[in-house]
Amino acid sequence: MSASEILNGLIHGDLPRSAEVFGPEIVLCLTVVALLLLRLFSLDRSVPPYVVALFGSLVAFTGVLAQFVYFTTFGGEVGGTPLGMGETLFKLFLLTPEGAGTAGGIFTGLLMHDAFTLFFRLGLTFFLVLVVALTVLTGIPDNEDGPDFYTLLVGSTIGMLVATTANHLLMLFLGVEMMSVPSYVMVGFLKGRRSSSEAALKYVVYGAGTAGVMLYGISLLAGLMGTADFAELGPRLAYLVEGEGVGLSNPNIVASLLAVMMVLVGLAFKLSLVPFHFWCPDAFEGAPAEVGGYLSVASKAAAFALLVRFLLAVTGGQGESLASLNLYIGIALGAIAAVSMTFGNLAAYSQTNVKRLLAYSTIAHAGYMLMAVSAMMVIVNAPASSGWSPARIQVEAARCLEGLMYYLAVYLFMNLAAFAIVALIRNQTFSEEIKDYNGLAHHSGTMTLLCVCMGIALFSLIGLPPFGGFFAKMMIFASVLNAGSIHWTMWALLAIGGLNTIFSVFYYMRVLKAMFIAPRPEESRTLAVPGILGAYVLVITLPILLTGASPLQNNLSATAHYVASVLFP
Amino acid sequence: MEGVGINGYLGVGAVLFVCGVVCMATKRNGIGVLMGVELVLNGANVNFVAFSRFGHLGLDGQVAALFVIVMAAAEAAVALAIVLSFYNNHLTVDVDRADELRG
Repeated sequence: MSASEILNGLIHGDLPRSAEVFGPEIVLCLTVVALLLLRLFSLDRSVPPYVVALFGSLVAFTGVLAQFVYFTTFGGEVGGTPLGMGETLFKLFLLTPEGAGTAGGIFTGLLMHDAFTLFFRLGLTFFLVLVVALTVLTGIPDNEDGPDFYTLLVGSTIGMLVATTANHLLMLFLGVEMMSVPSYVMVGFLKGRRSSSEAALKYVVYGAGTAGVMLYGISLLAGLMGTADFAELGPRLAYLVEGEGVGLSNPNIVASLLAVMMVLVGLAFKLSLVPFHFWCPDAFEGAPAEVGGYLSVASKAAAFALLVRFLLAVTGGQGESLASLNLYIGIALGAIAAVSMTFGNLAAYSQTNVKRLLAYSTIAHAGYMLMAVSAMMVIVNAPASSGWSPARIQVEAARCLEGLMYYLAVYLFMNLAAFAIVALIRNQTFSEEIKDYNGLAHHSGTMTLLCVCMGIALFSLIGLPPFGGFFAKMMIFASVLNAGSIHWTMWALLAIGGLNTIFSVFYYMRVLKAMFIAPRPEESRTLAVPGILGAYVLVITLPILLTGASPLQNNLSATAHYVASVLFP
Repeated sequence: MEGVGINGYLGVGAVLFVCGVVCMATKRNGIGVLMGVELVLNGANVNFVAFSRFGHLGLDGQVAALFVIVMAAAEAAVALAIVLSFYNNHLTVDVDRADELRG
């Protein structure tokens, strides 16, 4: 094949459509290049790097938003007329009905474009904007280090966007690596600090190890199935295990189960699930709080999107044997979820450092969210004897994912708010210990506002009404309850989840007790927090209230439901 | 002459993988751990290429191996930089000495 033939094939193939859908990611890539050039030509003194990063991430977010609105109005079944402003946006980003308006693979099926990926891309790019704004306010990368930090931050987000859209085993690996490698550096960004370099070392050693194991699993899986395409995995796996029963005497089943488990190891590391959680508290304690907030939300959201996509690919085939095999995978995930939340909540109880406490809390929350995935696996692979009709299975499985996505949306705000407030308080008191939070609420002005917002974020993390966290948790618990009628272990999982929620109240309360009830130390100076910081915290705390008791709750859950139902046609 | 066949290649890949995992688990030197990671990645690469030659994976396997080589280089660069930063702060690359963060 000559070079001109290849070029022709590219141009007349799906490249125009792919480039259109991939536009926001390309914008982010250009942002990275611009940041590097800024440093090269010493322009970073006249143009602050955060301006470039903020501009690039805003453009990318607007691009994904335009695609999302375009897709749901033209491509999806929702229907409706676009707003006047939307029309301009669509034109600006060159959206076409056969491009962004059509669901399906892009780049010859390596990546996927549908409502599910759009939802996650929207959340990730929005989160990137929020994090860049936060770093501007807290000033964690100084002007000298700015280009490096934003290069890593934006680069890591590109990796996450690739991971959420991955539809191929190679893309799965590349996405996970592209989001991990920059985040190793970000964790060790405060070069001179002993704790920071130790945190980065632990993160990179565990991360590289699990990535290697995952890659070996991918090579086995791709080799056994003879394909690396997600769409083909399920049918081939079904063909491989067909008629053999689920015994471990069949070498094909053992090998493919081992391969799937190895891939799940890599994803469990990103999700910081027990027993792959060791890095999480250390990395979060050593890293700046801004980076901790970024990793805890963004890399988890991307890894969950990837986990759901991968598991649905594995379940894609027909056949009793495959279904019962996958049912066991679902139950095993439930067991990991139970252990993760119990461990996370128990270990958080004895912490004295707020960031470490929040790190254990993210482990527990990964457990809660994994409950939804586990319930989905159990429901999708319901045996015929359970008496569930295919239509009911579709509706209930979509409801599980709806809960997961709602949880992630709320989690974005509540966890970011908690980490942002920790970072802002650190800038005032130079401490992240709970004992130094004593009586912070008795300072006047913005500091009190920060404490109140911290209270809202933590109450929402506990899952108390009327905050968003309550509704998110209710949705997940309801779907697990439903799955219980297929397999009794789901009821046990629900009970453990409920107990954990009650138990988690105590350690979150310790932070709030220090802030609000403990007396202010005699020798403490009055802390004056600039009002703009209070405004930022208010902006990210408000959605926690809005996703709770407000009309927005209906809108968000309806969107999540629509997005989830796309995966179960 | 009869070729080696897929089992030989998969065997080499598996041996590399096991050596790498053992190396990661037992080495106390940070650089040694990273070498273990490289062994694991290359074990997977041997698998990819073998499956593409003898299995049905086709060119996907070859391309995957190329991508993995690039990714491994990037990861090694970052990991070595982090080990160096650890050395600057602790004057050692012994991973067992990374024990100040705990609780």
